[in-house]
Amino acid sequence: MSPVTLPRTQRQAKAARGPYGRVGQVIEELDDRLGVAKAGRTFLDKIFPDHWSFMLGEIALYSFVALMVTGVFLTLYYVPSSTTLIYHGAYTPLDGQRVSEAYASTVNLSFSVRAGLLMRQMHHWAADVFLGAIVIHMARVFFTGAFRKPRELNWTIGLTLLILSLSNGFIGYSLPDDLISGTGIRILFSIVLSIPLVGSYVAFFLFGGSYPGTWIIPRLFIIHVLILPLIIIGLLGAHLFLLVRQKHTQFPGGGRTEDNVVGSPMYPTFMAKTTGYLFMVTAALVVLGGVAQINPIWQFGQYQPDKISYAVQPDWYMGWLDGALRIMPSWEFTAFGHTIPFVIFLPAVVFPGLIFTLCYAWPAIERRFTGDNEIHHLLDRPRDRPKRTAAGAAVIGLLFILLGASATDVLANFFQVSLNEVLWTFRILVIVVPIVVGVFTWRICLEMQGGGADIGKRKRAVVMTRSATGEYTTSETAPHSDDQREELEPIPVPVHIDLESSDTGDGSGVRTVSR
Amino acid sequence: MSDLTEHGPMAESDAPIPVANIDDPHLREAVADPHRAERSIALCLFLGIVGVAVFGAAYWQNWKPWTLGLSFGAGLFFIGFGMSAWGKYLMPQGPFSEARHALHSSRAERDAIAAALVERTGVVVRRRSMLLGLLGGGMGLLGIVSLFPVLRSLGPLPGTTLDKTNWRRGSLLVDSNGRAIHRDELQPGGLVTVFPAGYQNDPQSQAVDQVVLIRAQTTALVTEKGRGSWAPAGYVAYSKVCTHAGCPVGLYERELRLLVCPCHQSMFNIDDGAVPQFGPAPRPLPQLPLYIDGSGFLRAQAGFDQPIGPGFWERS
Amino acid sequence: MSRLRRAFSSRLVLPGAVVAGVAIGAILAFGGAATGASGASTYEPSASDSAIQYQNPPRSYVPAGQALFATFCSSCHGTEAEGTYRAPNLVGVGPATVDFWVSTGRMPADNPDAIQAPIKPPKLSDKQALQIAAFINSLDPAGPAIPKVNLNGANVADGASIFALNCAACHTITGTGDELAFGTFAPSLRSATATQVAEAIRTGPANMPRFTGNLSNAQVRDVVAYVTEYIQHPSNPGGFALGGVGPVTEGFVALLFGVGLLALIGYWIGERS
Repeated sequence: MSPVTLPRTQRQAKAARGPYGRVGQVIEELDDRLGVAKAGRTFLDKIFPDHWSFMLGEIALYSFVALMVTGVFLTLYYVPSSTTLIYHGAYTPLDGQRVSEAYASTVNLSFSVRAGLLMRQMHHWAADVFLGAIVIHMARVFFTGAFRKPRELNWTIGLTLLILSLSNGFIGYSLPDDLISGTGIRILFSIVLSIPLVGSYVAFFLFGGSYPGTWIIPRLFIIHVLILPLIIIGLLGAHLFLLVRQKHTQFPGGGRTEDNVVGSPMYPTFMAKTTGYLFMVTAALVVLGGVAQINPIWQFGQYQPDKISYAVQPDWYMGWLDGALRIMPSWEFTAFGHTIPFVIFLPAVVFPGLIFTLCYAWPAIERRFTGDNEIHHLLDRPRDRPKRTAAGAAVIGLLFILLGASATDVLANFFQVSLNEVLWTFRILVIVVPIVVGVFTWRICLEMQGGGADIGKRKRAVVMTRSATGEYTTSETAPHSDDQREELEPIPVPVHIDLESSDTGDGSGVRTVSR
Repeated sequence: MSDLTEHGPMAESDAPIPVANIDDPHLREAVADPHRAERSIALCLFLGIVGVAVFGAAYWQNWKPWTLGLSFGAGLFFIGFGMSAWGKYLMPQGPFSEARHALHSSRAERDAIAAALVERTGVVVRRRSMLLGLLGGGMGLLGIVSLFPVLRSLGPLPGTTLDKTNWRRGSLLVDSNGRAIHRDELQPGGLVTVFPAGYQNDPQSQAVDQVVLIRAQTTALVTEKGRGSWAPAGYVAYSKVCTHAGCPVGLYERELRLLVCPCHQSMFNIDDGAVPQFGPAPRPLPQLPLYIDGSGFLRAQAGFDQPIGPGFWERS
Repeated sequence: MSRLRRAFSSRLVLPGAVVAGVAIGAILAFGGAATGASGASTYEPSASDSAIQYQNPPRSYVPAGQALFATFCSSCHGTEAEGTYRAPNLVGVGPATVDFWVSTGRMPADNPDAIQAPIKPPKLSDKQALQIAAFINSLDPAGPAIPKVNLNGANVADGASIFALNCAACHTITGTGDELAFGTFAPSLRSATATQVAEAIRTGPANMPRFTGNLSNAQVRDVVAYVTEYIQHPSNPGGFALGGVGPVTEGFVALLFGVGLLALIGYWIGERS
């Protein structure tokens, strides 16, 4: 309880503050109103495991922060309208051409707004990096088994975040209404159209009529800046909340058990490291946005349904779908007055549906097959779960082959081989590579399991000497001085770090005080 | 001060709390020479300040994007690097641990909530199944009707829009500038994108009416049986909308007599009715029958004999 | 009075003539409208105007051209340029065609059996190319002649629009070129001169379509201006163009330099055990 009377003099005020000075006083006032002192102290003591692979999710998080900041800037200049106007601006090859307001505003932002091009490019690079980080983070979670009980819900949330981010990225780069992204929208229309029974209705509902219409740009805009970001932010909050509530997982060894968390305390160590990482992620995106040109829409021109460019690929994270569309055999089924274009429906609707369903169901699948319904806070080394690792590697291999298949023409041009041969190569690879990758990964896991306790330790050099009679003998070198590092026993976070005193008490190096 | 010990939160427990000590081998900084690390980190932070300042100047002076990007990127990077290095090298190095208290509540607490749900619900609904049924029915109907903004306000219904184009008997072929195409206009090997006259500037009709007109040769081209009159003087016209995913098939290889779609590389031979020879397209490009009118201009004999473009459920 | 005089002396003659005149005028007007604003119904590709001047190479070049042809070309194209199983008949292809193939270095071909001859450093000089063109033209004069493009007054915006509609489908919108069907390819536009671009448009080399009547000289000039200025010297205000092929290289950079580099930094920050 605070003193009944407010202090009158400076010395009274200083005395009233207590041993922790002004900080203590602020805590006092806040706690009187919010009661946050105990929770706050617990939060500052929170331990975060230090392994480097746990930082991959942070790349995604901080890229998302960059996306939001640059995105707000872009919304101040972008006009989400398909109404046409005659362009008169800084880029001469567009002067006098009829373009949409969306396109014109994006070109103006790139040429006539101070730092506009930097912001636009940073936003686009951040989207590409964001999705790359999500994928690599998801792979880490998968291969280490971090999705197991009690974290299945977080896996589901994360997967939903992936799907929403994929969609938002595709929608985002379609907003400038340029020739290349407009082609993607035409393909989207055809994909929706291919859905049996309801395809034409959903397509007309989404586009507000037949293709192209004037509704799709404003609708995509509001989905991109409001609807999806709201859901993403909500799910992201839930994702982080669960992480804090359930505490992070950790690898076994080094004093780590199922019942503790070993690492750095939130304040000051983890905060310093992670804020530094935020700055460095932003720095990478700023540099990319400044020196690497991305999506130069002024070169592409306004989208028109009768114009097209060659070498049109979607952004990398949609490449797997485009590749699937390219290599699919031309199956279309027509009977009883109806058509199902399997050539589009299977690779663009059914296939991603299957992949995502498999991912959503994986925790349940694994529970079923291993019979393991225990709580796990310790992670697996990927080699210790050969089947899961092999399955994951096979799926990743499949997706990367499909990503490569979306670039058939560019690859054929780069390697100077026939386009037709490249396509057939990918048709074969898409079957062969997942199987080969899966089998290889499984065998490598089994072989690595035999590594034993000295996996990860510095290898001892083997010295071969030849005797005078020609005999070879081998001997190991002496261990390196760093190999003698002892296994440290983790201790609870200290209350008070006293760097001056040397009174160790019971010789453990830990001094205790009673309050 | 006495107020704190009496009323502060820490007074709840009198148990001794472990405190660390400089001699504690766990509590050293990560590096052997913290002062050297401190100097390096100071240098990093200083470079960061320089970078950010240069960025400020570059922004104010409206310099090129690469100067903005490099200066700000360098500034942010060095600040971030300094912070992370501080956290990694100059902070007390652990490892520290905390207990992972079991997340789940006790059996009694679980039973308590289950009991509350089950017993209280039992009290509410006992012998009131009709009320429950009415409530459930209301919720169900509400759920269905709340989908109506998505189902019924959005529109329009497709109807027969997907089946039709604006090509009719006698439609004059014009290019994107509105110029009619005369029979002497293209030499063999030439191509032009055409529309029905009057529709060349409307994006809605550009999307479905676009036709690629190729002069394959100087004599009539018979692409299929029954299409003897469709390609007079070697002018053959196909819908430009790819039957795979709708991209304009603008890529024509003159010597191979092949129309290639740039999106997914479907290949159509113009001599046999644009039947797909390679790639994913499932159907030939619909052919527009042409004739040459009295003044020598190309016109359509009729519209297409089938819906153009990719397949959809109602396409028969 | 003769029947003729009686016909013309009728009270209906004058109004009839007016009606007929109006009807003929209307038919002409509508016919004109049907052909569009420009009025002309076809573009004669070799008709010179202020935008492009078509010139045949001087006849004095023919003997030198004949000698060059015999040395460098006849082994595949035949001694009379009539063609063999390895190379097509060149009689009547016109000087623009010959000049294009030779001045870009595609001809003489290193590998006559290749599906498509690639650009390479020209073996013959520009003058020698014109000499061979003169010789071929002497066998059977045909168009188009060598186009000399006058870039003054070019409208690059129109050029960009025409480029997007007619050229980008093969050459890509940034002019980088790409692989086409069965081993053929659309080359990069980076190294073509104004004359070569105009020649290619008018003659349609190899698998390229032939744009003759449907593009006026002014339109070809606009495309040439756009290609030589903006395709070949893009301003690239955003930084490194990364090859101009779009998301393929952008994806590489994002994953390698973006995610990869950041993961390495994370590796430094974190622990390894």
